[in-house]
Amino acid sequence: MSEIAAKGAPHPRFRNPRLLPAAVLAAAVLAAIPVFGSAYAVQFGTDILTFTALAYGWNLISGFTGYLSFGQVAFYGLGAYTVGLLVTDTAVPWPLAVCGGGVVGVIAAALLGPVMLRLRGILFALGAFGLARILGVAFSDFALAGGGNGMTLPAELTPTAVYVFMACVALAGFLANLWFARSGFGLDAMAVREDEDAAGALGINTTKVKVVAYILSALFPALVGGLVAWNRSYLDPPSMFDPTIDLQSVVFVLFGGIGTLWGPLLGSVVLMVVDEEFLVHFPDLALLLFGLVVIVTVLLFPGGLVSLANKRGWLLRRPVLAQSALPVGEPPAAEAAESLGPVLEVRNLTVRFGGLTAVNEVSFSVGRGEMLAIIGANGAGKTTLFNTITGFVVPTSGDVLFLGRSVAALPAWRRAQLGMARSFQIPRVMAALTVWENVLVAARHGRQRHRAVAHAAWVVRTVGFAEMWREPVSRLSPGHQRLLEFARVLALNPELVLLDEVMAGMTREEQEEVRAVVRRLREYGVAAVAFVEHVIAAISDLSDRMVVLDFGRKIADDTPARVLADPAVVRAYLGAPQE
Amino acid sequence: MLAAQLIIDGVLLGGTYVLVAQSLNLIFGVMGVVNLAHGSFIVLSGLFTAWFFGLYGVSPLLLVPLTFAVVFAAGVVLQPVLLEPLVKYGRRMELMSLMVTFGLNYVLVEIALQAFGSNYVTVPYLQGVWSWHGITVSQSLVAAGALGGLLALLLHLGLNRTTFGKSLLAASQSEVGALSCGIDVRRMRLAAFAVGVGLAAAAGALLVLVLPMAAESADQLTILAFVIIALGGLGNYRGVAVAALLLGLAQSAMGFLVGGDAETVLPYLLLILFMAARPKRFARAVR
Repeated sequence: MSEIAAKGAPHPRFRNPRLLPAAVLAAAVLAAIPVFGSAYAVQFGTDILTFTALAYGWNLISGFTGYLSFGQVAFYGLGAYTVGLLVTDTAVPWPLAVCGGGVVGVIAAALLGPVMLRLRGILFALGAFGLARILGVAFSDFALAGGGNGMTLPAELTPTAVYVFMACVALAGFLANLWFARSGFGLDAMAVREDEDAAGALGINTTKVKVVAYILSALFPALVGGLVAWNRSYLDPPSMFDPTIDLQSVVFVLFGGIGTLWGPLLGSVVLMVVDEEFLVHFPDLALLLFGLVVIVTVLLFPGGLVSLANKRGWLLRRPVLAQSALPVGEPPAAEAAESLGPVLEVRNLTVRFGGLTAVNEVSFSVGRGEMLAIIGANGAGKTTLFNTITGFVVPTSGDVLFLGRSVAALPAWRRAQLGMARSFQIPRVMAALTVWENVLVAARHGRQRHRAVAHAAWVVRTVGFAEMWREPVSRLSPGHQRLLEFARVLALNPELVLLDEVMAGMTREEQEEVRAVVRRLREYGVAAVAFVEHVIAAISDLSDRMVVLDFGRKIADDTPARVLADPAVVRAYLGAPQE
Repeated sequence: MLAAQLIIDGVLLGGTYVLVAQSLNLIFGVMGVVNLAHGSFIVLSGLFTAWFFGLYGVSPLLLVPLTFAVVFAAGVVLQPVLLEPLVKYGRRMELMSLMVTFGLNYVLVEIALQAFGSNYVTVPYLQGVWSWHGITVSQSLVAAGALGGLLALLLHLGLNRTTFGKSLLAASQSEVGALSCGIDVRRMRLAAFAVGVGLAAAAGALLVLVLPMAAESADQLTILAFVIIALGGLGNYRGVAVAALLLGLAQSAMGFLVGGDAETVLPYLLLILFMAARPKRFARAVR
């Protein structure tokens, strides 16, 4: 069974036997509304589908990818105005105009994304918000589209057609979320959400992932905006760039379950029905209700309705590309060495932060088969040196050569893909994902899907996680989290492994375990290891050579025995020669 | 003459902005929370001031301490309920607090709408002008700008000259460091939020003297405050004061040269331009 799985058996789609009847039932209800329902039912159905589609769009960038946006209404407005201009100025039929709106939204997101997504966290959220406000004001002053007075459309009220289109857009939104929840690409997006720097160190092109997610999440509001325009006879900037449209996406997704497949649908349907009932009694208080729902959800059940269902074992998230049993896996094929030159060469590297020179004209190399230890007192520049080699810090001058080619200009994820793997001082695992996914995300790059799965399975077994491969990482002990970082390093199948103070703060027993893993690294095809370490005793017998840093300068580079006997090193490390 | 006129107007407007920005800066600095409901506290206080003035003709300047006290008390109640529980989420707190204050913002704006309606209001108080060689300075702008600047200065002195203020600053620089000095960081977060929103309310009572204000102005004021602290540098109270004055000047010039819409959109534009140009700087500032 697992043999077949390892060779890439087709992914079982409908494992849950209740899913197919549920899908048929949902389709039947959707179809029955325009056939048998009243005009009111069709309108209400359209409203629910509208917000389902918007919620699914928002969930892609803010739920799965972790970039909270309060400005998706920018694309909604662009879509609506594109449709407005197309149908009034040209003879384009409505459905085509709506598609045109989607195209404009996608183009706008593709242009804006690379700039906007340089911002992280709060800054992206506020930047997206500001962007929507700017567009709103711009359209108020845009003579072509009627400016602040708005534009009148040649009203063609065909509610059933709009309903059908909206249903298609909502379904597409669901499918896009399904893709994010189940595919390797979606796993990359979730890795960016969990820890963007660590994702980069695992070879994920974080910029590409973010921009693709942003573009897809812009497509849905742009299409929905166009369809809303179809259903109206009048467009004006305040209602087409209305920030409360984003509020509703946020509310519905949060309430249903952010970053989940079913959350946006559940949230939209439940809250739209509640809202409809509530509004009958309190017509003006919708915003108050939504605001309160956001607050209560975040404070009391931040996982939303889906997290409540999870407690009963319903709607559980399925780990990405995980079969029912852990595949046997296959060890990486032994590769012939590409070159006999040094694996890593650092040339005259200097890093300055303002007036502080953290790394000063440091040169050294790591040969094939070598284990190099980099030691030094606190603040000697060890971690900065590592961050510069791996692409997290830009050097002031100097060069880094990896396997004979300069990598100084490459981003961290490219270096990781070339075979440079690193660990972090504090283990940076993706807490909301499973052990399996943490390993798979690193194993995926440069491999076809079934090869990635087989390789990840081999790593999971080799490192000893076979018993807990489907466990969420947040349940692992700190020691296991450290071990998981090693597993991810192995999954990258690297030529060079850089370990940053992996033994700091560990007990003797834990240090022994780590030393055993480090010794075995070479068996797994790792050509060279460099480690930064504080605990000299723990590494002097592990390393072939030691480089000593003192205030950013290299003061020694020799065998451990000679380095530790060097008076200059003793002075730098212990401060006083008498010691 | 025209330049002098625009500069005076800009500096006085900037004086009120200093208070708006420093109050957000205090909350952001100590709690690490961007209070998206900041503008709604300003607007609630401004609309209340206009309403109260309309009813009783009480000097709006007397309402400054009153609105401060009321909203300070509200902050004391809200912070432990809404924000303190999120501290346990660590790194995720940043985005979760953003969502909570986003929700709070809508609740408060809705309350403002229900209580005071959706119209733009202003307070016809100190309508006189002082003229000198063709430069006219509105008395209300002088009162608002000077008082705003004064309150911001008091905050600055309070933070730097009193033990309590120094504890607040310590908590904003390092939670662990402050804890190990025996500072009750939890109480500092409470104080920062309550004083911060209280000062936002005071700023609202002043701003309504010089700017027409409506419930829907809330978001714009929040962004304005955030842009100023982003430009001036988080925790850098002098830098923020300078940035507030510069933004006042820029708005006064843009309002004259291009018109009202440009004035409205300027903070948003600056926000995106500066963040796109110097993302590293802001990334550090925000931790």
